[in-house]
Amino acid sequence: MAPVSFNNVAKTFGSTEVIRGISFDIRDGEFMVLVGPSGCGKSTLLRMLAGLEEITAGTIAIDGRVVNHVDSKDRDIAMVFQSYALYPHMSVRDNMGFSLRLRRAERSEIDARVMRAARILNLEPYLDRYPRELSGGQRQRVAMGRAIVRDPKVFLFDEPLSNLDAKLRVQMRSEIKALHQRLKTTTVYVTHDQIEAMTMADRIVVMHDGAIEQIGTPLELYDRPDNLFVAQFIGSPAMNVVRGTLRRTGGAAHVETADGVRWPAGSGGVDGQGVAYGVRPDHLELVGGGEPAVPGEIVVVEPTGSETELVVRIGDAQIIVETHGRTTLQPGDTVGFAIDPANVHLFDQASGARLAP
Amino acid sequence: MSTVALPGVEAATADGGPRRRLSPWQAWGLALLAPYVAVFLVFVLYPVGYGLWLARHPQSYVQLFADPVFAGSVVNTLIFVVVGINLKMAAALFLSGFFVTARPWIRWLSVLFILPWAVPSIPTILSIRFMLNPEWGVVNQVIFRLTGADGPNWLNDRWIALSMAMLVHIWKSLPFWTMILIAGRLAIPGELYEAASVDGASVWQRFRFITWPSLSTLYLTSAILSMIWTLGDFNSVYLLTGGGPADLTHVLATLGIRYLRLDQVDLAMATIVCALPLVLPLVYFMMKRLSR
Repeated sequence: MAPVSFNNVAKTFGSTEVIRGISFDIRDGEFMVLVGPSGCGKSTLLRMLAGLEEITAGTIAIDGRVVNHVDSKDRDIAMVFQSYALYPHMSVRDNMGFSLRLRRAERSEIDARVMRAARILNLEPYLDRYPRELSGGQRQRVAMGRAIVRDPKVFLFDEPLSNLDAKLRVQMRSEIKALHQRLKTTTVYVTHDQIEAMTMADRIVVMHDGAIEQIGTPLELYDRPDNLFVAQFIGSPAMNVVRGTLRRTGGAAHVETADGVRWPAGSGGVDGQGVAYGVRPDHLELVGGGEPAVPGEIVVVEPTGSETELVVRIGDAQIIVETHGRTTLQPGDTVGFAIDPANVHLFDQASGARLAP
Repeated sequence: MSTVALPGVEAATADGGPRRRLSPWQAWGLALLAPYVAVFLVFVLYPVGYGLWLARHPQSYVQLFADPVFAGSVVNTLIFVVVGINLKMAAALFLSGFFVTARPWIRWLSVLFILPWAVPSIPTILSIRFMLNPEWGVVNQVIFRLTGADGPNWLNDRWIALSMAMLVHIWKSLPFWTMILIAGRLAIPGELYEAASVDGASVWQRFRFITWPSLSTLYLTSAILSMIWTLGDFNSVYLLTGGGPADLTHVLATLGIRYLRLDQVDLAMATIVCALPLVLPLVYFMMKRLSR
């Protein structure tokens, strides 16, 4: 267990800058998820921490020791790869015990630690099998077993669930989280899937284009995204965003879009400012006529059982609305929505930065 | 499409019925097979059979075994195959590790490296022979200029000449086997090496635990194939030393030609038959590996 810190870390491949001076700290025992669209540099950052990529500038420290020029094998880390990277000619037992064998551990100690890891991961029946004889989920568990046998300072996961089917992914997600709660080892987990990030992380680093957009707990990112990128990246279904001009008259404020719709807004921003107006699908409330409402027309109704997702045309915009329970609404129905200004996110049109609050 | 009934071909049906006509599928199969069978009969079975026929007299073998050149050739062949091939494959294994390193200048170097394999063997081996000429060859001239001493008489000593023939063979075919092993190395997923690095493996341990287990089958198959091919490698020895000095550097492949030039066809064929105990186990082993 150890804290990890990134200090102004940069990486260039030739003339391409893929990491642009990133700094943040991971606390001892924390489950930190790096998330972002593909090509944002999250995997490169993880590989730099693992010692698989050179660090162009800045420093990375594990447990207070700068590791820029320390070999992977001396960093006391364990990594789970997307392809699992199991040694094909070794049995599960040998795969899991390989790192200990390289460290010249006693045979009896290797056996004991492999057995302990196998028990944790329910791999005992498979110890003498070869990777080719295992299913995807079992291989994934062997890859994790290989990591936990070591009892390293830091676990690194590089998109470990991407090769699994949807059902298994959900199951492994909670297994990894349970494993972390049990072992309490500092973990850095890379994924492009924001749901994985939200459900597993203690804190999330949202990356985009080689830089950090925001760091925070899952709910902080959800409730108070720093910028338009984070607002649209975190949350499923994604936040609805329309662009318009902020009108602030007296105490009330609204955003007027080009199609003439007036969206109720809260504080932040100045009168006449061009803004991106964001509201999450579950923050639009269906209301009857009469109240001051945003009018819309139902386009699609998607029931999922416990919830119903509506695609609604409001002005020129297609808006996603999530309602609890079931509905008798049909495509073509005209409805009204109430939006609590406290749930509205305003971003500067040009920079994408959040406007207070 | 018509069906053809071949005379004499009887297919027993389940109910023990009379002769049945071939299905179009079977007829086409036979028709497409026929040219191959014909070629095999004319160009493989007949010459081999004729060779064995020529080598049928036990007297030929008595005469062959009594010839001191024969015993020397067997020893030379064994040395060539055991030492030459293993040296070559070990070098190819090492070089393939070097050439998979992704650096631009290494890519250019590999183009140069492939040249010996790509150029035709007769002129190149003959030019090496000229280079090694003790009086006017470029090698000894350079040695004389640098040290003032005369260089060795390269092709006039059995062991130096045989070593040179092996070197020429290695120089000529090393690129090919290096390429084969490069292909083998490229098929190993890079993440295995990364996982091994993180697990704490040194460079040697990565070779020992990742590269070698993944490559050993290919390496062994290549070594056997190379041995089979080298037993028939006539050029390296014949063009460089001509079997000399004093017929001391012959291998079985060149010995047959020597007897042919002496008009001893039966001895030439007997020589080839004597090479069979070396080749056949290798071929058998090879076929077993390939059909696994």
